[in-house]
Amino acid sequence: MAISELKNSNSKSGILDRSKPPRSGKPKDINFPKFFETKTANGITVLVIQDKRLPIVTSRFVFKSGSYLDHFMGKNKSGLGSMTSEILTKGTESRNASEIAEEIDFLGAGLTSGCNYDATFVSSYSLKKYFDEVFDILTDVILNPSFEEEELIRIADQRLNSLLSMIDDGDYLADRIFNRYVYSKSPYSNPLEGESKSIKNIVTKDLRKFYKKVFSPENLIVAFVGDISPEEALLKLENNFSGWKNSFSHSEEIIFPEFSKTPRVYLTDKKGAVQSSLKIGHLGIERSNPDFIKVSVMNTMLGGYFTSRINKNLREVNGYTYGARSVFNCYRYSGDFSVTTEVKTDITSETNREILKEINEMKNKHVGREELQNVKNYISGNFPMQLETPNDIASKAISLKLHGLEDDYYNTYIRKVNEITKEDVKEIAEKYLHTDRLIFSISGKSEDLKNEMQQFGEVEVTEDLF
Amino acid sequence: MSTIQLAKKIKYNIPSVDFKEHTLDNGLRVVMSKFGNIPVVALNTTFHTGSKDEENDKTGMAHLLEHLMFEGSPNVPRGQFDDILTRNGGESNAYTTRDSTSYFISVPSNHIETAMWLDSDRICGFGITEESLEIQKDVVLEEKLFYVDNSPYGSLEEVSSKKLFGGSSYGWSVIGNMEDLRRLKINDLKHFFEKHYTPSNAVISVVGDIDYDKTLRLLDKYYGNIGSGTEFTKSNFAHSEIRNEIRENIYDNVHLEGKFIFYKLPEDGTKDYYAMNILNSILSDGESSRFFNEIEYKSGLVNEIDSSIFGMECLSIFNITAIAMKGKSMDEIESKIDEIIEDVKSGNISDREFSKARNRFETYFSSKRQSVISIADKFSYLKMFYNDCSKINFEILDYMSLTKSDLIETANKYLNKNQRLVLNYLPK
Repeated sequence: MAISELKNSNSKSGILDRSKPPRSGKPKDINFPKFFETKTANGITVLVIQDKRLPIVTSRFVFKSGSYLDHFMGKNKSGLGSMTSEILTKGTESRNASEIAEEIDFLGAGLTSGCNYDATFVSSYSLKKYFDEVFDILTDVILNPSFEEEELIRIADQRLNSLLSMIDDGDYLADRIFNRYVYSKSPYSNPLEGESKSIKNIVTKDLRKFYKKVFSPENLIVAFVGDISPEEALLKLENNFSGWKNSFSHSEEIIFPEFSKTPRVYLTDKKGAVQSSLKIGHLGIERSNPDFIKVSVMNTMLGGYFTSRINKNLREVNGYTYGARSVFNCYRYSGDFSVTTEVKTDITSETNREILKEINEMKNKHVGREELQNVKNYISGNFPMQLETPNDIASKAISLKLHGLEDDYYNTYIRKVNEITKEDVKEIAEKYLHTDRLIFSISGKSEDLKNEMQQFGEVEVTEDLF
Repeated sequence: MSTIQLAKKIKYNIPSVDFKEHTLDNGLRVVMSKFGNIPVVALNTTFHTGSKDEENDKTGMAHLLEHLMFEGSPNVPRGQFDDILTRNGGESNAYTTRDSTSYFISVPSNHIETAMWLDSDRICGFGITEESLEIQKDVVLEEKLFYVDNSPYGSLEEVSSKKLFGGSSYGWSVIGNMEDLRRLKINDLKHFFEKHYTPSNAVISVVGDIDYDKTLRLLDKYYGNIGSGTEFTKSNFAHSEIRNEIRENIYDNVHLEGKFIFYKLPEDGTKDYYAMNILNSILSDGESSRFFNEIEYKSGLVNEIDSSIFGMECLSIFNITAIAMKGKSMDEIESKIDEIIEDVKSGNISDREFSKARNRFETYFSSKRQSVISIADKFSYLKMFYNDCSKINFEILDYMSLTKSDLIETANKYLNKNQRLVLNYLPK
């Protein structure tokens, strides 16, 4: 554009009045992008999110069971799922760990595996021109893992050291103890990375047992993402996986956790701490709960974003912390609600009180019309940012399948958010927030905090950490 | 674009990013890029001002000012910036480095004008109160406690800055000294703001669902009438070379010992800088890399090993991080690292290793350009420090034009024991 034109437009508008915010244009519609979906003869759910803008292909193999199963695989086996997924890329019947690493690295590709409580995954990415080679290695790793004894010993040794390093981190300690007590006897109380006594207790036979139970076509969702068509993707699967038969698998057992009957405080000592790391909360909801969207809206207002009540109070008004958030963390069978933050040791009590105040306020008073509208606008406006890359879209498509949500879930999402009333928010807060059942997990200077914390509930100092 | 460049571009098959550049009458440089397929726009406003522009008894000021820029401006009362932005579906954040300060906003494209109104108002004039200043000092103090004092190996940036760059304006950490911070008065910040937050010291990049003509008109409307401010000359950066190896033991609340080795490199954008990046890929990118394969996988000496290059305007840093396995010898780890570095310096890089690094860069450059926020950030950076936005499409050539002997030559120039800093973190 020519500069003269610019000056014209400027002079026409005269002096800019900055005192009022400008008016906005009409919002553009956003629909969840369409994607290809089918099921293979041996039961694999296939998703293809084709996008040719970049010459990259990602394939994501997601098995619908994760470290939740550790609990059912014998006494003291926590960490089993995550160690099984880690060892997959460390050797097959025809390639050792170094050969796999060398082939993948040389192709400029990536091959990763891991798990969470509800799923186990193996993924690859590469330039399209190397996809055939990379997909063959990925196939080998999934179908023919060798579970070498010496690899297991190495992984266990590394993990025991990683745990030593993790307990130097206050947030990790608060998180670990929070999960232990909030989820009490349910499998979600076990750390998915394992603990020292369980890591030492896992043998290759356990890995094979976990593998057999989880790695099977009917238990599998595969998403192909990027520069690949559904035809190409299906042909790849047909060539490499059509001979794969389902192993006998039984449904998962479920153990539901129970709420604490009274508020309780768990202190974990962190040597030389200058801050308390706080994680305060209780049981929440499972991902497929029909109230999920209402709960998200309520939580966003309470502590889910920068301008939420909790962050405003603790950071912007009081200057107690660099940041504070609340979250509903949802798994397949259960979930938790928590507020997390880090503050100086001597304002731990004040912080607890402010958090309690905000939770009570949410339960006891209707939210203002404007505040509710603001949160709805924020969630709706932010939604397209979650659909920016083909892999973002794939993650959402996978979660539909993983949690059994309706196909039009993401297309009706914004409408459902906008239908929520202030009465809904109060009802949801009353239903899902419980100040009389809170677990206060605090890592920091236990000795200094022990007496003071009794005002919030019965205090226990955790000693036998790992 | 030269024909050779074109040919190489086609060979690498990397889709190019479209952009337009312009400079407003008051000196503000703007970059616009129509990109992506979601109705979102990212704005990135970057000032050529970072912690190296502070005086050595007023450290932490650039970063504190960054916090305060969300705390009110002439027409936006305290507490309203984020409220207005989020109620329009937007989000915002900022970061400060030694060389620059960047503010970024993402917003649904129908609210682009609101984002510009908010962002430009805080450059127009200083609207920060004493109360905000004191609260944000507390927030920054908690930020420092969280990232530095309460975090394992957390003092690394502070200690290494002092040891590597002591006496120069890279010689302190970005977050600064908390005693300096406590002493800062509102007028200190106002002067710093008025001197540095001027259009000619800034670049703004707008990326996403935009129309070029309309966006330029809006930029001119909101930013065009901001006063140019007073020109100032940036102070020269001077530092002294390390001539004898510096070693220090630091006692920290850690369970595992950590070894951190630092070498100084030339600034970002130099041939040696690019060569070191490729060498770094050979050393630590992927499980088949030299450091990982030999020191973690085969020898089991470390729980973690990595190396990275931190590019800056006046100098860069090559850093090796090794966290020891319990009971393993830190001396043995250091001699393994040295063995590998000496091996590379002696010219022992195989053709396959070199091709592998190039393949990894090709994938990296083919896959990284996906988010409007990161592209806006990249454009501001390229415009400010290179005055060359076309690098967004051709930076790969800076890497691919290098040969194996360039890498070896660079390693011999910079990776020498007498030019380095070694910090050992040991359990208290």
